[in-house]
Amino acid sequence: MSYKIPMGPYHPALEEPYKLDLICEGETVCDAKLHIGFNFRGIEHLAESRNYIQVIALMERVCGICSNIHTLTLCQAMEKLTGLTPPPRAQYIRVVIAELERLHSHVLWAGIAAKLMGFKTMFMTCFEIREKVMDVLQVISGNRVNYSMNRIGGVNRDIEDPPAILAMIEALEGEMMRTIIPIFTTSTTATSRCAGIGVLTREKAMSCGVVGPTARASGLPQDLRRAAPYAAYSEMEFDVPVQPDGDVRARLLVRALEIMESCKILRQALSKMPPGELSTGEAKIVFTTGTATSRVEAPRGEVMYSVSWKEGSRNPSRVHVRTPTFANMPAIRWMVKGARLADTPLIQASIDPCYSCTDR
Amino acid sequence: MSAVETKPAKSLLETLREKLGIADPWIEMGGVRWLNPGALSVRDLAKGMNEAQARFVTITAVELPGKQGLRLEYHWDLDGRLLGFPYQLAGNSIESIYDLCEAVDWIEREIHEGFAVDFLGREYEPLLLRQGDKPGVNLREEKK
Repeated sequence: MSYKIPMGPYHPALEEPYKLDLICEGETVCDAKLHIGFNFRGIEHLAESRNYIQVIALMERVCGICSNIHTLTLCQAMEKLTGLTPPPRAQYIRVVIAELERLHSHVLWAGIAAKLMGFKTMFMTCFEIREKVMDVLQVISGNRVNYSMNRIGGVNRDIEDPPAILAMIEALEGEMMRTIIPIFTTSTTATSRCAGIGVLTREKAMSCGVVGPTARASGLPQDLRRAAPYAAYSEMEFDVPVQPDGDVRARLLVRALEIMESCKILRQALSKMPPGELSTGEAKIVFTTGTATSRVEAPRGEVMYSVSWKEGSRNPSRVHVRTPTFANMPAIRWMVKGARLADTPLIQASIDPCYSCTDR
Repeated sequence: MSAVETKPAKSLLETLREKLGIADPWIEMGGVRWLNPGALSVRDLAKGMNEAQARFVTITAVELPGKQGLRLEYHWDLDGRLLGFPYQLAGNSIESIYDLCEAVDWIEREIHEGFAVDFLGREYEPLLLRQGDKPGVNLREEKK
């Protein structure tokens, strides 16, 4: 006999609200239905009443973890409407902040995953390291969450001493190499808890249109930093980790390997950073009528902004945001089918969901 | 260093255009390669994109000035290129492609809730709006 277990909106593992109705037979999940919208703030609608300075501050608040990615994508779209191209140094600084954000997001997720595996010491270790990544972001921007780095035509703040930041990154990389990476890639605790559960096949990943590490863990080698480079990514050398198995362990491995690739990109960006201006320095920004779209590879996958403007208007006429979790979350239904009930919190967390982004 | 996607791959896109049976050329504008679908139905477009193994990205609903109604911009990714297909709605409805492309489920529901667009041939459940709200109402009209 099947029965329904409502999980949420207060989630047993994550701090944000959403609800999953699990249809179970015994301890096995037969089907699931997802409910979101508990955080719906109407941000896209609000954006239509903000000018080009205010809308950047508003969109930075779509997400508390990848806040920089939202302003980066928005500014890139608005730059297409204004014809402005940020100077080379600004493009490098954008890469540095984006990769630092990826680092702290992936390490945060690793901590939560460790906690769900019952590995609480690892949770504390991950959060200690994440604090240090946030310290680096604070040194650069003065802020730990909303960095306010991006503006139309460049960035707001310089990285004044790249070698000092590079030394901090190298220290962090060494710490991650000693702790997070070996435990997540080789420990039997991680393997036994994650291997073979929450499988999303390559075919299902394709039809669900999943993005980011979730797609790459199902064998889809898509990464916008490589496929459609933006900022200074075309000048960086890095690998795109792909795993074929589609289970929780594959998602764990992809993120662990991406941490190392982020460190590689950071080393290059900080050591090769060109001198020059931080922005185009326009006192007044002039928009042309039209729609522009920008996509960026956020920690959780592709973010897309579509921005429409009418010439002479103070405000955008439309800002549409497609966040990665919006694309990834429906696939949870297929991941939990056939899984043991006790595994479902870890399976849900394995896509690194962000409900704040999803609801907007 | 430009944010514009740079891959040429003209032949791949031209092959796709021919398979879709569209005479108009691709136009690159604002970071998207646009193709005017003309008389091609959105369902035939979805079938063509499935055959090309393109990844569905999203649908953007845009309210046009005056009483021109709505435009839906369907986006797919083909090997890193963002493709766009604009459909201007006659009335407030268009065929759903949910049965052809399951990735559209949430965005069709979101547009139904936010812009009152009826995607024909599918059923809805509330997505972003919770109990007490009214799905299927143009929220912008409500504001006015």
